[in-house]
Amino acid sequence: MDNKENTPDISAFLASAIHDMKNSISVLMRFLDDNITKLEPEAQHEAAPMLYEVQRVNDNLLQMLAIYKVGNQFYPFDLTENSIGEFVREVAEQNKSLLSYLNIKLDIDCDEDLYWYFDHELVVGVIAHALNNASHYTKDKLRLVAKEEGGELVIRVEDNGRGYPGQVLDAGDAVNKGVDFASGSTGLGLYFSSMVAKLHQNRDKIGSMQLENGGTYGGGCFILRLP
Amino acid sequence: MYKEVKDTTALFAGKSYLIVDDFQGMRSMMREMLRIFGGKNIDTATNANEAIAFLEKNRYDVVLCDYNLGAGKNGLQILEEGKHRDLIGLATAWIIITAEKTSDLVFGAAEHMPDDYIIKPVNEATMKGRLEKVLAKKEVLGNVEKAVRAKNHALTIALCDKLLSTTQTNAAELLRIKTSTLMTMEQYDLAKQVFNQILAKRDIPWARTGLGKVAFLRGEMEQAQQLFREVIRSNPAYLEAHDWLARTYESQGNLDEAQNVLARSVELSPTSVVRQRNLGEMAQKRGDLDAAATAFRKTIKLGEHSIHKAPSAYLNLAKVCADKGIPSEALQVLKNAGQEFDNPEVQLHAKVIEGTVYSKSGDHNNALKLSRELAAIAGSDNNLPAGIMLEATQLFLATGNKEAADNMAQALVKNNHENAELLGQIGELYDQAGMHGKGEDLITTSRQEVVESNNRAVMLAKEGKLDESIQLLREARVLLPNNKRIMINLTNVAVLSMRQNGANAELMQMSRECLANVAALDPQEKWCSQVQAALDALDV
Repeated sequence: MDNKENTPDISAFLASAIHDMKNSISVLMRFLDDNITKLEPEAQHEAAPMLYEVQRVNDNLLQMLAIYKVGNQFYPFDLTENSIGEFVREVAEQNKSLLSYLNIKLDIDCDEDLYWYFDHELVVGVIAHALNNASHYTKDKLRLVAKEEGGELVIRVEDNGRGYPGQVLDAGDAVNKGVDFASGSTGLGLYFSSMVAKLHQNRDKIGSMQLENGGTYGGGCFILRLP
Repeated sequence: MYKEVKDTTALFAGKSYLIVDDFQGMRSMMREMLRIFGGKNIDTATNANEAIAFLEKNRYDVVLCDYNLGAGKNGLQILEEGKHRDLIGLATAWIIITAEKTSDLVFGAAEHMPDDYIIKPVNEATMKGRLEKVLAKKEVLGNVEKAVRAKNHALTIALCDKLLSTTQTNAAELLRIKTSTLMTMEQYDLAKQVFNQILAKRDIPWARTGLGKVAFLRGEMEQAQQLFREVIRSNPAYLEAHDWLARTYESQGNLDEAQNVLARSVELSPTSVVRQRNLGEMAQKRGDLDAAATAFRKTIKLGEHSIHKAPSAYLNLAKVCADKGIPSEALQVLKNAGQEFDNPEVQLHAKVIEGTVYSKSGDHNNALKLSRELAAIAGSDNNLPAGIMLEATQLFLATGNKEAADNMAQALVKNNHENAELLGQIGELYDQAGMHGKGEDLITTSRQEVVESNNRAVMLAKEGKLDESIQLLREARVLLPNNKRIMINLTNVAVLSMRQNGANAELMQMSRECLANVAALDPQEKWCSQVQAALDALDV
C-alpha cells in the first residue's frame, strides 16, 4: 500500500489556517492585554510572560511564512520610504504594556527626521522580535536606537542583562556568513533576521545582522544594518 | 528628537466607520478600539453583500475591511466594486486588514489599491498610528485626487510639485501620481527624467518599471523588455512588471514568452479575473488548448462575484472545448452564457459558436439548422462586430450556405475595406472551404465599390461641393455603419463645412457620433484626438 496517497497537500490548508490563527492571536493578545491591566501590580508582573509567549507564537508564524514565501519567490518585497520616527514609535507602542508590567524601562534614541527605504512588515517583524527577546533576558533596561551611520540605517536593541551566551553569538556569526544556522527557535529567529537584512540591497551594498555583547548598557546587543 | 504620541480624540470623534469582517471576535475588537480612539458612528458588516448594502446607503470616512471573507468577494473586490459603482468617494479611507501580505495587495493596479493595509495581529497601537497617518494623507492629497479625477493634468502636476517641494511625507505617492499623469499627457521625456532622478538615488522597482513603461509607450520594445526583466530579477513577486513584460513580449510577437510571464503573474495573483482571462486568450492564440481551457474555466469561476465578469471567457471556452473535441462542455458553457448574459449580441454570438461546435463534431444536421437560423436573423445585419461576422461567414461556408457566406463576407469587406489583416482572414476562409480565389474576387469587387464612392466624395469636397460630398458619405454610412474611413471622411468634410459656414448642431452631433464610433472601433486611431480638438474649437 502506498502511504503517500493518504498525505494531504498541506498548502491547501495553509492559507485558511494562517487566516484563522492570525485572528485567534489578535483576540488572544487583546484579551491578555485588557485583563492584565486590571490586575494588581504584583499579579501583573506574574502574568506578563504570557504576553511574551503569545508574541513568540506570532513571531514564529510570521517568520516561517516569510521564509517560505521568500524561498518560493512569492514574497511581495515592498521597498517603501519610511519615517524612522513613526517606525520606532510603532514598535515601541507594541511592546509598551509588556515592558511596563515587567518594570522595564525603554530608552529611545532615534533621528526623528530621517526617512529610510525598507520593507515595513519585515523590519517591524525583526525589531519587534528582538525587543520581545530582550525583554526576557534583560535586567530592567532596554534601549532602541535608529540612526544613520556611514550611509546605512543602523537599528540597535540593547539590554542590561547578562548578554548572549557564547553559542548564540557563534550562531549569529554563522548565519551571517551563510554557513549554517542553529536549530530550534533561536535558529529560526536568527535565520529570519539575517534573511531580512540580506533582502535589503542598495547598489553594491547589502544589509546585515549582528549580535554582540556590550553596548551602552553592557548586556546583549542586536544590530540590524540596512543600506 | 523622539516625540510622544499626541491626543487625537477629536480627530476620530467626527468620523464615520464601517468594519467588515466575517469573524465576530475581530469585529467587536476593532469596534472597541475605534471607540477607545473616540469613534462614535460605527457600522459593522459580516460579509461582502452586507458591506455593499451599507456602502449604498452611507458615505463612510473610514472602512476597515478584512481581506479574506470566506466565500464571495474578498476585501479588494469590494473596494473595486465600490469604486466602480461610485459608492466610495475620494474622502473615504479604505484599509485592508489581512493575515498575510500578497502581491495583489501590494503591487496591484494603482487605481484599485487600498489606502493602507494592516497585517494581523491587529493591536491598538498599530491601528491608531496607521489610522492617523492615513487620515492625514487623505487630507493632504484630497485636492490632488480631485484634480486627477477631473482629468485636469496641468493642475495635477502643479499640485504634486507644490507638495513635493514642502514635505517628504507622501513623496512616493505624489511622484507616482505625477509620473502617471505625465505619461497620460504623452510627456515621456519629463516622466523619464523623474524616474531617472529617483533611480539616481536608489534602485526602486516602481521607478525602473516606470522607465520600462516609457520605453514601451514609445515603441522601444527591446529596451522595455530589458527593464521589466531587470525588475523581476531583483524582485520576483513584482506583479506590475509581469503585466507589462507580457504585453511587451506580445507586441514583439514572442507569444511563447508572453504566455510564460502571464502564467507566472497568475501564480502571483491567483484571484485576478483579468489576468486569468489574459492568460486564456494568449494560450488560445498560441493553440495551447489545455492551458486555455484551464485558464478560461478559472476566469469564469473567479468572475462569479466580480465586476470583471464578462461573456468573452464563456464564449472562448466554448470555442476551445470545440477544438479540443469536447462538444458536450462547449454546449453547456454556451447555455450558461445565454443564461448569465441577457444581451442580444452575446446570444447571437453564442448561436454562431454553437453551430460551429456542431459542425466541428460532425453533427451536420444541427449545424445546418443553426446556419439557416442565423442567415435568417443576421444575414442582412451590417452592424455586428467584425469578429462575430467572420465566425458566421466560416460557419456558413462550412455548412454549404454559400449565399449567406457571400452576403456576410461582402458586408465585412465593405465595413473594413482598409483592414488588411481582416481581408486576409476572409480570403483564407474561402481557401480553407475549398473555394480558392473566390474570396479574393469577392474582396476585390466589394472593396472597389467602397473605394469608388469614397473617392467620389473626396473629389466633390475638393471641388468645394461640400454639401454633395456630405450627402454621398451619409448614404454610404447608412449602408456601412462600421466603416472607419467613411466616418473619418464624413467628419472631416463636416468640419470643413462648419469652418466655412459656422457651427451647426446637426453636423456637430453627427461628427461627435462618428468620432465616438471610430474611437470604439480602433482605440489607437490618432485621427481622433486631432478631430476632437477641431470640434471643440468649433463648439464654443
